[in-house]
Amino acid sequence: MADDIILDIRNVTKKFPGIVALSDVSIQIQRGKIHGLCGENGAGKSTLMKILSGVYPYGSYEGTILYENRELKLEDRSIRQAIEEGIAIVYQELTLVPGMTVGENIFLGKEPMENGVIDWDKLYAETRQILEKYKLDVPPHAIVKNLGVGKMQMVEIAKALSENAKILILDEPTSALSKAEIDKLMAILETLREHGVTCIYITHKLEEFFRITDNVTILRDGKTIITEPTHVFNLEKLVKYMVGREMKERFPPNKRQPGEVIFQVENLVANDPNDTGRKILNGASFDLRKGEILGIAGLMGSGRTELVTTIFGEYGNIISGTVMLNGRPLNIKSARDAMSNGISLVPEDRKGQGLVLIQPILRNISLANLDQFASFFRIDQDAELAASTQQSKNLAIKASNLHARVDSLSGGNQQKVVIAKWLLTNPQILIMDDPTRGVDVGAKFEIYKLMNELAEKGVSIIMISSELEEVIGMSDRIMVMHQGHTGGILDVKDATQEKIMAIATGIEA
Amino acid sequence: MNPSFDLKKRFSENIQTYTLLLAMLAVWVLFNVLTNGFYLSPQNFSNLFRQMTVTSFLATGMVLVIVTGNIDLSVGKLAGFVSVVVAYLQANVWNSIFPGQPLVAAALSVSVGLIVGALFGVLQGYIISYMRVPAFIVTLGGMFVLRGGILIITQGKTIPANQPGFDQIAQGYLPPSIGWVVAALVVALLFFNMVRSRARKAQYGFSVPNIYLDVLGTLFFSALVVIYVAIVNYYNGVQVPVLLLAVTALIMTYISSNTRFGRYAYAIGGNREAARLSGINIKRNVFMVFVLMGFLCGVAGVVLASYVGYGTTAAGEGYELDAIAACILGGTSTLGGVGTIFGAMIGGLIMASLTNGLQMLNVPAAYQYVVKGAVLILAVAIDMYFKKNR
Repeated sequence: MADDIILDIRNVTKKFPGIVALSDVSIQIQRGKIHGLCGENGAGKSTLMKILSGVYPYGSYEGTILYENRELKLEDRSIRQAIEEGIAIVYQELTLVPGMTVGENIFLGKEPMENGVIDWDKLYAETRQILEKYKLDVPPHAIVKNLGVGKMQMVEIAKALSENAKILILDEPTSALSKAEIDKLMAILETLREHGVTCIYITHKLEEFFRITDNVTILRDGKTIITEPTHVFNLEKLVKYMVGREMKERFPPNKRQPGEVIFQVENLVANDPNDTGRKILNGASFDLRKGEILGIAGLMGSGRTELVTTIFGEYGNIISGTVMLNGRPLNIKSARDAMSNGISLVPEDRKGQGLVLIQPILRNISLANLDQFASFFRIDQDAELAASTQQSKNLAIKASNLHARVDSLSGGNQQKVVIAKWLLTNPQILIMDDPTRGVDVGAKFEIYKLMNELAEKGVSIIMISSELEEVIGMSDRIMVMHQGHTGGILDVKDATQEKIMAIATGIEA
Repeated sequence: MNPSFDLKKRFSENIQTYTLLLAMLAVWVLFNVLTNGFYLSPQNFSNLFRQMTVTSFLATGMVLVIVTGNIDLSVGKLAGFVSVVVAYLQANVWNSIFPGQPLVAAALSVSVGLIVGALFGVLQGYIISYMRVPAFIVTLGGMFVLRGGILIITQGKTIPANQPGFDQIAQGYLPPSIGWVVAALVVALLFFNMVRSRARKAQYGFSVPNIYLDVLGTLFFSALVVIYVAIVNYYNGVQVPVLLLAVTALIMTYISSNTRFGRYAYAIGGNREAARLSGINIKRNVFMVFVLMGFLCGVAGVVLASYVGYGTTAAGEGYELDAIAACILGGTSTLGGVGTIFGAMIGGLIMASLTNGLQMLNVPAAYQYVVKGAVLILAVAIDMYFKKNR
C-alpha cells in the first residue's frame, strides 16, 4: 500500500439499548492529510469521535482500531490516555479556563516545574514557540476570556499540539466563527498539514470540505457509505450520499385539512441575549395555518431552536420583525405571555428544560397549569390530579401512578409527560422542538399519532426536527432554515431530502 | 389494592421521615437512661420543646430559602436585631406614649417587630432577586450590618423586655383545661380532614385509600397530640411559644405544598430552566421567599425577646447555623428542590434534644459543639450512603 495509514478503523460496531449507533464502520485515515467526516445529525459522527477519545472505552464496541499499526485500547473515560497516545479533540464547546492566560491554559496540568514551583519563564517561552511554529496569532499572556471565539479555538489547537498530538479531531470548528475567522482557521489547518499533523475534520458546512480536506468519508445511519478523495465529489453528490434513504412506513396516515392562516412571523431579526453582538436570527419568516403541521428543518446552528424560543419570549432580543396571531401583532416577553396567547413550547432538551426530574409525574404535568386549579390561597389538588390523570390517559403514559418520580420513566414516557404538561395549557399553537429525540420507535409512532389528532382538532403545530424523514413524513409544509433566515418553504408534495439538504446547506436558495 | 401492599408503599415513600423519627426517639431514650429518667420528666420534656422554638421559627422559612437553591446567613442576626428593637421600644418608647398600658405596648412591639423583619427581607430579597447579587453574599453582608445595628441600638448594654403581657409570648402556658380544649379541636380537625379528603377523592372517582389505614393513621396522630398535651399538662400546661410554632409550621407546610408560591419554589430549585419555560416568574418568587423569611425572623425575634426577657448584644448569635442545620438534618437538599417543614422541625428537635441532654449531663459547652457538629455530618453521610446503595 502506497499510502501511509495512521488510523485504521476496521468494522467498528457500537450498539446502545434499542439502537445501533455505528454499524460495521471502516475508515482509513492517511497520515498528514485532512480527512473530512460528513453526515446528517445522528449519522454516527459523534459516537465515532467518542470512541476515538476514550469516552466509550475499548471493549464497549465491536471491531478493531489500528493506530500506528497497533491496536488502540483506551480505558473508560480516559481522555487523558487518548491525549497521551496523540489523539486530541478540539470540541465544539470550548474547554478552556476563561480566567487564565493563554500560556496557563496550554500547559494546564503539565506546567514545567523547577524546584517544586512553576517555571513561568519556561512556560511562556514554550507557549511562544508553539504559537509561532504553527502561526497561531495569539499573545501568550492574554487572558482567555478577553479573546474572541476564533482565537480561543487557536488556543485549543495549540493546547492539543503542545501534547504532541498526531491526530487532531476538529468537531464543527467553524460553527461559531465569523467569515474572517474561518479564513484564518483554514490557513492554520494548511500550516498543520505542512507540519505533518493529521486532521479529522467534521462540519455541517459542506463547502468547507472542498476548501480544505484531502479525503472525505460519508456516514449515514451509522454506516460508512463511501470514502474517496475530495476531488471526486461535488456538492450535489455529497448531499445525495448523505440522505439517500428510502421512506419507510413509519408515519401514521392523517386526514388533516389545514384552514386559514392564523399565525405569521415576518422578517424576524434577533440577537443573542448573552452576546448582543451576535445575530441569531437574520430574517426568519413563515406563516402557519389552523390545523397545520409546519416542519422546520435545518442544520445544527441554523437558528431553528433560536427561532421558536424567541417567539416563545424566552431567548433572543428581537431587533426587528413582527409576530402576528389572528392578524394582531404580539409582543411576547416571557413564557407566561406566550401561554396566555395560546402558544406552548415543548422544549428541545427534555431533562434540562422540560422536566423537574426529582419531582413526581403529577407535579410536572401541572407545573405550567396551576393557575387553572388555584386561587391565591389554595391549589385544588383533587382537580389537579383529575386533570393530570386525564392527560396521562390520553397520552397513554406508562407509569404505576402519577406520584412516581418522573425520572423513573423511560425516555418516551418522559417526553409524553412534557407533552401532557403543554397540552394541559390548551394551546392554539403547539411548538415542538425535536419531539422525538431520544425516543424509541414505538413511542415515536404514538407521538406522531397524537400530533395528527391534535392537528385534526384544529391545533396548529410547529415541529422542529433533525430527521429529514420525520419532517417529510409529518409536515404539511416544510420551512428550511439556513444561517438564521428562512432558506425556503416547501410544500410536502414537492419536498425531497435532497432538496431540503440543498437549501439547508445553502447550495440552493 | 390490598392494605398490606398499600402500607408497604407508604412506608417506603416516607422512609427518610421514619428514620429521622427513629433517630430522635433513640436520642431521647439514650439520654433518659443516662439521666436516670429525668430527661423525659414532664418538666424537662416541656422545656425541651420550649428551647427549640426560636431557631425553629427560622428553620420553617429557611427550608423554602434552601429549596429555591439559596441560603440566608442573616436570619440569626435579624432575629436578634428585631429582639433588641422590640426591647428598646418597650423600655424607652411606649411608656412615654401609652403610660400604664402594657398590653397596647406589647401589641405594638409585636407589630413593629414583624414589620422590621419583613422590611429587611424585602431589602435583601430585592437585591438578591432583582439585582442578581448571590444570596450568600447579600445575607453575609446583611449579617454584618445587623450585628452593627444591634450594637447601635443597645449601645452595648442589655435592655429589659419583660413587661407583663409581652412575657407571655414565650414564657406563658395555657391552663390545662384550655390545653385539653385545643387537643380536642386538633383531633376533631384531623378526623374532619380525613373524612372530607375521602369524600372529595370519591367525588373525583379516585381510588379512596383503605378506610382502616386512614383511621389508623389519624388515630396515631391524634394519640401523639393527646400524649403530648397530657405530659406538658403534668408540668405547667401547653407552652404558648410551642403552640405558636406549631401553628406557624402548619401554615408553612400548607404554603409549601398547597399554594402556587410554594410549588413554584420547589420547581425553581428542582430545575430552574424548566420552571422558567413553564411561565414561572422566578425573580418574583425568590423575592417573596426572602420577604417571608424576613417576616419569620420578625416572629423569631419577638419570641426571642420574650423568651430571654432582654435585648442583648449577643442576641441571635449563631442561630442561622442552628436553623440551617435543622433543615439539613431534616432532609432538605443543599442542591435545592427537596425539603419539608416537618423534617426541619424534627431536625430542630433533634438538635435541641442533644443540647438539652448534653447540658443535663454537664458536658462542657465546647464538647457540645463537637458532638452536634459530628451528628450533623454523620446524619448526612449516612443518608448519602443509603442513597448510593439504593
